[in-house]
Amino acid sequence: MPLSPRDALQAEIEELRRKLEEACLRVKDAKSLQELRNLYLSRKKGALPRLLEGLAALPSQDRPAAGELINSLKNEVENRLQDLQAGLQKKEAKGPEVDWTLPGFQQPAGSPHPVLIFQRQIESIFLSMGFSIEVGPEIETDYYNFEALNFPPHHPARDDWDTIYLANDLLLRTHTSPVQIRVMEKQKPPIRMINPGKVFRKETPDPTHLPMFFQVEGLEVDEGITFAHLKGTLEYFLRRLFGEKLKTRFRPSFFPFTEPSAEVDIECLVCRGKEASCRVCGGTGWKEILGAGMVDPQVLKNVNIDPERYSGWAFGLGVERAAMFAYQIPDIRQFYENDLRFIRQFRLK
Amino acid sequence: MKISLEWLKDYLDPGLPLPQLIARLTMIGLVVETWEEKNGDVVLDVETYANRPDTLGHLGMAREMAAMLGLPLKEPAAALAELQEKSSDLVDVQIWDEDLCPRYCGLVVKDIQAGPSPAWLLKRIEAMGLNPVNNVVDVSNHVLFATAHPIHAFDLDKLAGRKVIIRRAKKGERLLALDGSDISLEPDMLVIADEARPVALAGIIGGQETAVSDTTRQVFIESAFFNPVSVRKTSKALGLQTDASYRFEREADISFPPQAARLAASLLTSFGGKTAQGMVDIYPKPRKSRELMLRQRRVSDLLGVEISADFIQNVLSSLGFELRAEPKESWLVKVPFFRVDIEREADLIEDVARFYGYDRIPAVLPPLKVIEHFPQEESKAEHSRQVFLQQGFDEALNTSFADPERQALFQIPRRPVEIRNPISAKASQLRTTLAGGLLENVAWNLNRGQEGVHLFEIGNIYDRNEESLREHLALGLVAGGRKGEVHWQKKQEEAGFFQVKGAVEALLTHLRYEPFRFQAKEHPLFESRSSLALMHKGARIGCLGQIHPRVLAAYDLKKAVAYGELDLETLFEKKPKPFQFSALARFPGVVRDLSFLVKAEVSFQDIKDELDKLSLPYLESCQLVDRFSGSSIPQGQVSLTFRFLFRNPNATLQTGEVDKLQQRIIAHLHSALRMEVREGGQGN
Repeated sequence: MPLSPRDALQAEIEELRRKLEEACLRVKDAKSLQELRNLYLSRKKGALPRLLEGLAALPSQDRPAAGELINSLKNEVENRLQDLQAGLQKKEAKGPEVDWTLPGFQQPAGSPHPVLIFQRQIESIFLSMGFSIEVGPEIETDYYNFEALNFPPHHPARDDWDTIYLANDLLLRTHTSPVQIRVMEKQKPPIRMINPGKVFRKETPDPTHLPMFFQVEGLEVDEGITFAHLKGTLEYFLRRLFGEKLKTRFRPSFFPFTEPSAEVDIECLVCRGKEASCRVCGGTGWKEILGAGMVDPQVLKNVNIDPERYSGWAFGLGVERAAMFAYQIPDIRQFYENDLRFIRQFRLK
Repeated sequence: MKISLEWLKDYLDPGLPLPQLIARLTMIGLVVETWEEKNGDVVLDVETYANRPDTLGHLGMAREMAAMLGLPLKEPAAALAELQEKSSDLVDVQIWDEDLCPRYCGLVVKDIQAGPSPAWLLKRIEAMGLNPVNNVVDVSNHVLFATAHPIHAFDLDKLAGRKVIIRRAKKGERLLALDGSDISLEPDMLVIADEARPVALAGIIGGQETAVSDTTRQVFIESAFFNPVSVRKTSKALGLQTDASYRFEREADISFPPQAARLAASLLTSFGGKTAQGMVDIYPKPRKSRELMLRQRRVSDLLGVEISADFIQNVLSSLGFELRAEPKESWLVKVPFFRVDIEREADLIEDVARFYGYDRIPAVLPPLKVIEHFPQEESKAEHSRQVFLQQGFDEALNTSFADPERQALFQIPRRPVEIRNPISAKASQLRTTLAGGLLENVAWNLNRGQEGVHLFEIGNIYDRNEESLREHLALGLVAGGRKGEVHWQKKQEEAGFFQVKGAVEALLTHLRYEPFRFQAKEHPLFESRSSLALMHKGARIGCLGQIHPRVLAAYDLKKAVAYGELDLETLFEKKPKPFQFSALARFPGVVRDLSFLVKAEVSFQDIKDELDKLSLPYLESCQLVDRFSGSSIPQGQVSLTFRFLFRNPNATLQTGEVDKLQQRIIAHLHSALRMEVREGGQGN
């Protein structure tokens, strides 16, 4: 039984599609591509125009379906021809294939200094608690560095803050506390600030001492501020900095500018108190990390803040020492060698 | 402070295993730094504080432990074998300077048999880390370490005229001290003198000539109170610190000299000595005990925890305070003389807190009020850091100290700030430039195998003028060697100078300090003709150039290093352009490339200045896209190709309009700088 005109058309389309695959493989240059194009699309002799012409011979109810079949083949042919053309063009332009697995380009940014990375980390925790960042001069007077902070002249307490002196009775600040005095002179409570910066001590450099280092100090003064607030804020801060489950310990100490004064220990991150011979904590399980206390009433008086109405707490922390402890850096002097192998490690942090 | 647990038993038996004792002491602020077992005893080394001289002896430490443990404190009685004679008949004591010596006690002990101390005393002296001398000297040291009150024993027979005069030294007087030093005395130093000469430096050290020896038969025991500031100044001036001066400069207990003298006499009595009656005690202006108000409410308000009245009373009483109840839940507290640190209510509250336990105070986050605050400068410096990091410069930090020789080498016209007490000669000035540290960093890294070093530092530099010392914020940028990592497809860049310049341009652009310009300007730090000054609104903001070979040699640097330094303080004082949003252009721009032949002496900056002067309408931007010289270019000239972008924000520019604008550029550059358009040097 002869095929119906519709089935015959479908068979012919299938045959053309099969031939297209074969013909594509034979295309090597522009000439063979043109031949292929003519074979299928030439208006006079092309297979597809010929098929379209044949549509008229079909019964009218079969025409739309048959047209769709022809058009889908036409689209296919056109796509293949485009791909072949693009491939030929590229071949002509580029020559050999690219190895796409070669190393990519990086635009390396510079690495921030680890001391400042750590300092910014500390700052951001306090910023999130609504503290402001305040700065002040490094060359200071005896008044701001000592007297206003309740160090009597000629008191042995000054020995713990070994001072580098300049001309005209000026000195290099031994802590950033003078900034607190300068802010409190101008601003009335409530005050919530941190004062980071460089400080200077007359220390001979060794693995744990430097004559210049960074400190972050902080201060909160308001009505109703208590030692419990000092503990709450510093515990939160230390857990954010060193880890959520960190244990802390507050114990009494002495600073002329706070009363009561405290030193804050955190648990040894190296041995967690489990090693009697631990080189980091000496087997105590604790590592001293910062000093703190309730602002001495005399300090508040010195800046005309009424200590009966207001109270406050303050703290101070050495940035390099905290970073040394956090990353087990053996020698504080490495921070100031500016060895790129040292600095660049911390950009991975 | 060394504390022998055996010795401590004179006053108190803690009855705790050592680890527990150490843990408890830590929590009242007495940190045991180390401890050692010695001859069946345990000796603790306890950290003490500058305001607590009372803890510089076993008695004071025992008092703290008694309060900590709720145990009573034993105070051993001092037994004396007494003579009929009075001390005042045997020696004539006179205070000539009551300010520097408000109280002076003395006691004579006769029939001394100087010799080695008994075993129990030797053991205690050795526990303190001292070498025993003889029983009299050992007794003096014993009293000091037992009570924290220093005493001194003179050989009475060697005191000329049997006189003891407490006075200031006279100019030219000297003292041969017990440590062998020959001290030249100054008139502000307090001495103990006999009729003829100084015999001791008050509160610091005794003299050799009146020292107790094996032949000593009678001693005069001095137990006094010396002005702490005077002792400290003398001790500092002479660089001489002793166990005695360490205690006196922290302030002794002014009520204690008689007890200390009696304790010493009692010990000497036990070795056969006999004590004269009637101690000499010159105390012209007896001090009153300090009395302070303590409010229970205030304790809770400051600590953030309710502490009971009973607890407060018990702790303070056991520490030696006398409390008298007052209305409104408060007390009048009488402060014992040995607590020189207690001056205000807050000091009492600290003691309450210490013994209550910091660990028992809750941790509470304070309420968060918004406090208005508008930071300015800090954010600009931080912004600058980010720009340089983005530009691929690593960040360095160097100390503020500088080597005077290096600073002189830089020849920077700033007067350096000298350090009065430097750590070393090589760190005896403050830096006048950031170059010193950064060049050292470059050398350090190149010597350790780096092929390129690009660093910046933001920090203070310092100088002085006639009236004052100044610090200002500066930026240093240094570039030596290759920039960036080796890459298979990238040419290695070694144009350090233009990396520095580019980073500076990026900073001023990012911070909106425009317009700025560079001009040639010689600078001693840089190679001749290689240096530029950076100008902003007529002010000089910084300089950059190729480091001078003389400086490179000092740092042992073999290849060119570019450096730039900006005065950020001056820059940040200027007002940047305000940030403004500009609507996106709706009409297309027209790009024209123009190549010119330019005489070598005409600089890029000259051309830029002329274009700025022309201030052509619709000229949106102008970039240098190519620069070359060579055989195709006439000698002494370069070819520069500029890309001009023209745009009318309100209409599409017509070709004819652009042609006219282009002609104006060509004409102006020709008349101002003799620049010629190259043949075929016009393009779209």
